[in-house]
Amino acid sequence: MTPDLFASLAAFVADARAFLPILLKGAVVTIEVTVLSFTFSAALGLALALIKVSSMRWLSWAAGAFINVVRGLPIIVQLFYIYFVLPDIGIHLSAFQAGVIGLGIAYSVYHAENFRAGIEAVDRGQHEAAQAIGMRTPMLMRRVVLPQAFRISLPAFGNILVMMLKDSSLVSTITVAEMTRAGQLIASSTFQNMTVYTLVALLYLLMSLPLVFVLRKLERRLGTGIGKKP
Amino acid sequence: MITIHRLRKNFGDHTVLKDVSLQVNTGEVVCLIGPSGSGKSTLLRCVNGLETYDEGDIVAFGSRVERADPSIHALRCTVGMVFQRFNLFPHRTALQNVMEGPLYVKKEPRHQVREEARALLDKVGLAHKEDAYPDSLSGGQQQRVAIARALAMKPEAILFDEPTSALDPELVGEVLAVMRTLAAEGMTMIVVTHEMGFAREVADRVCFLFDGVIVEEGPPSQVLAAPRHARTQDFLRRILPPSGGA
Repeated sequence: MTPDLFASLAAFVADARAFLPILLKGAVVTIEVTVLSFTFSAALGLALALIKVSSMRWLSWAAGAFINVVRGLPIIVQLFYIYFVLPDIGIHLSAFQAGVIGLGIAYSVYHAENFRAGIEAVDRGQHEAAQAIGMRTPMLMRRVVLPQAFRISLPAFGNILVMMLKDSSLVSTITVAEMTRAGQLIASSTFQNMTVYTLVALLYLLMSLPLVFVLRKLERRLGTGIGKKP
Repeated sequence: MITIHRLRKNFGDHTVLKDVSLQVNTGEVVCLIGPSGSGKSTLLRCVNGLETYDEGDIVAFGSRVERADPSIHALRCTVGMVFQRFNLFPHRTALQNVMEGPLYVKKEPRHQVREEARALLDKVGLAHKEDAYPDSLSGGQQQRVAIARALAMKPEAILFDEPTSALDPELVGEVLAVMRTLAAEGMTMIVVTHEMGFAREVADRVCFLFDGVIVEEGPPSQVLAAPRHARTQDFLRRILPPSGGA
């Protein structure tokens, strides 16, 4: 190893030790934003999917329209709208709240489409078998269709979680102090772009790769007990 | 008792059932036979409200069958159904499949439901399979679990929609054996089937449907052995082995 390289590596490590505590604080916010907005988006998405497959025609149409509008808008524009425009009509949200709600709404439509596809992929015979033992629609959904639909939806569900972990960086644009924002602040005051963004990238990978791994395991485990059609 | 009175059903422009009347008494086994497209499955599915009908009446055990009416759920607890493709819940074990109805629909106590479900699995010869998931069971075993699931609701009658048509030939016998036992115990059964041996041996009455009409109806000894109507004769000639006849 040349002395030059050794010196720059030592400098990297020294910088990293100084920056890491700040970046880790940002990472905590990243995880908070991801978990909260993912939960919100999945719940909203499930509701949208159930409305869309229901026989309530107007509500179903409204849910479809909502999905198309949200899907047609850039996430950043949605975030700006919630954070900068809503205060004009008297709705004041903190940057964190606006970020969670904005990401949640933006991603709910992907959950909705994913859940809807899962629900529709469940065999009609399952509906009929549940009806034939006297089940009404809510119980039929809860006990028979949704558990099977969820298994079908799981791979895409996991992908959405990973995408949201990465896209939580978008809330940095409305000043939420998550990891990317923390990195930007350090970089702009120290000009150590290389060190800072390498660390940021490594930290994202440190979060996303284990997540991918865990999701794949979960998929495989939930795959048992459901199988080929008779 | 199930009474079907002047039933008419259309799918779009096509009339599947034309003026069908049929009465099934308590304890009676009625087999519906006929070529595919004759409307026999549709007729069966109207009886527990899986299909709507356009004209006529169906009254089962004192209540009118009306798919859109809230009473349909109670009626389906009274009139069970077994499907051609079994339709077991794939995410639940054999025992859980049988327990599902009494436990969640009828809200009976779990320990009682479990005991009864085990007894039913034993009755269909699958006591040793209670923890198996449907995809690890053979078709015949799945259909027997499905029969146990229908029985768990303690129905007054069970509708069988071609219960052996999706089975490999060597598995048909075990399902028919269970159905024979039920018939012998006095269960009211309407069976859509192509198993003429079963119909001949077990049915009190056989109805031959053709093109949405009951063309011929009577005891199996008459309808299967000495059919009066040309359509029935033609149908039976085609599905029975040429040597044996009926």
